[in-house]
Amino acid sequence: MNRQDLQLIAEQTNIKHKQYKHKVCVCCGAGCIFSGSKKILQNLQDTVKAQGKKKDIEVVPTGCMGPCNEGPLIKMMPQNTIYQKVKNEMVPAILQSHIIENKPIEKWLLFKNSKQKPFINSLQAPFFKKQRKIVLKDCGDINPESIEDYIVSGGYKALERVLFEMSSEEVIAQIKQSRLRGRGGAGFPTGIKWETVNKYVADQKYVICNGDEGDPGAFMDRSVLEGNPHRVLEGMIIAGYATGASKGYVYIRGEYPLAIKRFELACQQARKSGLLGLNILGSTFHFEVNIRIGAGAYVCGEETALIASIEGKRGNPRPRPPFPAEVGLWGKPTLINNVETLACVASIITHGGEWYAQIGTPKSGGTKVFSLAGKINYSGLIEVPMGTSLREIVFNIGGGIPGGQKFKAAQTGGPSGGCIPAEHLDVKMDYENLVALGSIMGSGGLIVMDETSDMVDVARFFMEFCVDESCGKCVPCRVGTKVLYDILTKICQRQASMKDLEKLEELALFVKATSLCGLGMAAPNPLLSTLRYFKNEYLNYVNLQAALQPS
Amino acid sequence: MAKVFLMIDGRQVESEPGKTILEICRDNGIDIPTMCHLDGLTDVGACRLCLVEVEGVSKLLPACTTRIQANQVIHTQTDKLKKYRRMITELFFAERNHICAVCVSNGHCELQELGYKVGMNHVHFHYLNQKCDLDASHPWYVMDHNRCILCTRCVRVCAEVEGAHHWNVMNRGVQARVISDFNTPWGESITCTSCSKCVEVCPTGALWSKQTLQGKMEKHPEKIAELMEKRKMSL
Repeated sequence: MNRQDLQLIAEQTNIKHKQYKHKVCVCCGAGCIFSGSKKILQNLQDTVKAQGKKKDIEVVPTGCMGPCNEGPLIKMMPQNTIYQKVKNEMVPAILQSHIIENKPIEKWLLFKNSKQKPFINSLQAPFFKKQRKIVLKDCGDINPESIEDYIVSGGYKALERVLFEMSSEEVIAQIKQSRLRGRGGAGFPTGIKWETVNKYVADQKYVICNGDEGDPGAFMDRSVLEGNPHRVLEGMIIAGYATGASKGYVYIRGEYPLAIKRFELACQQARKSGLLGLNILGSTFHFEVNIRIGAGAYVCGEETALIASIEGKRGNPRPRPPFPAEVGLWGKPTLINNVETLACVASIITHGGEWYAQIGTPKSGGTKVFSLAGKINYSGLIEVPMGTSLREIVFNIGGGIPGGQKFKAAQTGGPSGGCIPAEHLDVKMDYENLVALGSIMGSGGLIVMDETSDMVDVARFFMEFCVDESCGKCVPCRVGTKVLYDILTKICQRQASMKDLEKLEELALFVKATSLCGLGMAAPNPLLSTLRYFKNEYLNYVNLQAALQPS
Repeated sequence: MAKVFLMIDGRQVESEPGKTILEICRDNGIDIPTMCHLDGLTDVGACRLCLVEVEGVSKLLPACTTRIQANQVIHTQTDKLKKYRRMITELFFAERNHICAVCVSNGHCELQELGYKVGMNHVHFHYLNQKCDLDASHPWYVMDHNRCILCTRCVRVCAEVEGAHHWNVMNRGVQARVISDFNTPWGESITCTSCSKCVEVCPTGALWSKQTLQGKMEKHPEKIAELMEKRKMSL
């Protein structure tokens, strides 16, 4: 396939789509599939066929639409009406009333339980209105298993532009200008990383896409891979062009079978269409992608451990420097980026770095995808501009805390992050602000907790996770996290003294300072941040113990 | 070759470029405790004892794997580092069951020496009291996991020097164990050449020769560096 063919596919697919008067999107993200959306899809297709409306109504399986809690979701286009918790018996009624009689059924609309009147155009609801979708732009609108759908919505245009109109330096300049930062959590400027890899001279370089998302409560990367795999693939190919790499690896965790399946399919389709392999789109650039499946180790999300795992070795991290940009996969310069980072690339190329930079804050450009979970009315997948306040996310988008409870804290960054208490609800979410509060942006997991949550137990939960997931290579993480966990258990059992509490803090700071990799360095964060904001809860446990002691 | 200059603990030091911080320090008589490091083997930076402070770098860096750069200012003996080294040593002792009084390596043990060196007078953390196995299936040697500190010297010497790759590590975190082949008894191994290199490099009494009395196991880990030096010369 060459450049003209790309245009041709877009036009032909567009004509095909325009034949239909109506489009029904059925969310086929993993969340909705579990609540039965595959049956709804089948039912819809059968009903449409039985009614002889096959030429008017198009039924499309799509990626995640966002409000995962309310699934299965179906979206009626072009009105953008979303129906929630759809059951099989609702299907004929929706088709009849919504499409044929043009009367939306209010009692089944999305967010019908909220205080406000539900919206016919669901995008008017606060949940969607406050969002800005760049990474998730087509997620929920197009069929992730169809390359034509991606092309018709502007896909692979950025790649075409890069291959024929831009030099690798120009691509890097755009990425630098965009102020895009690593979405895996650390927030390293992506442009500088690309430039560093580009600078090294080697016979072979690699691009790795890190899809080993393992934080409890995080599902951003999964949803992107499931909802729009081509977008990630396009980002990877562009990254390969910019850094001079001709081989790519996608590392997806084994617990994401659907993401693996869809990405594999995307690679096959791209290969067949000449978008992957030799002479991409007729240019002189070659790029090949392989998929590696993680075997369930959290530490393999750490870049050096991930590289070891791809090489077929035990997934242990190694000290940096040298960084993978210099000595990476099989000793070659390697660019390693998160799924979400790579999913931003195509939009930056299409609209320019300047456009992307303007969306965020002066230090971090663009948007961030969060997965809202925990004690919140509308949990799900959201994308907001950098610098959006936590209050806006929790109360406007997420619809507040259920059951009239009070907001207590939001946990960001999973086992590497910390808790943000109610007094900091107005914090503008970006990398620096969250670090200042003792948490981190992390990959985007956001767990909301209400007054019923026990913060010591929260710290204990995350410490247990780190004890399990520590690779065991370095002493502070291997033994230190276990000792910390034992002390936390002792506190929870009201067996601890003030001395234990002091030891806890001292050891936590030690583990943070001396561990080999990011896992160990960040493992004490949930503990330290709860100790910082909720010390009274720790003291309650300890004082109760003191009170129970015979004097 | 052009020399580079750097400051270590307030002293100006000169060296050839490309060396590690640990090498420079040892060349200049600056003592940094180590455990997983052994001359002749690849460094892994696992024990964290050799962490040093480098001005301008926010995190502590392991001296064994970090290469020097010109004009670096390095501190190796600050109070903070000394405290951390003591804490690491305490965690070593807390992790498994190190009972010197009944150990073959008593008096010749690198872990014991380390305890004296960093001034450890007792362990401030609770002992994990892990239940560990002992493998005495090999005709000549014994592996006692109670005394293993997972420095992985045995794993590396077997893979890099002997070329047998008999030892490996299984499981994660505190459950991690050095294993023989695919976790089969050492005596049944078809890869082990019984060369005894692993026994010689083991810093504690985890690997020892049978029929050794308490306190009589003396090891010679420095042999590996000599061997590697001779191999280099013969090339």
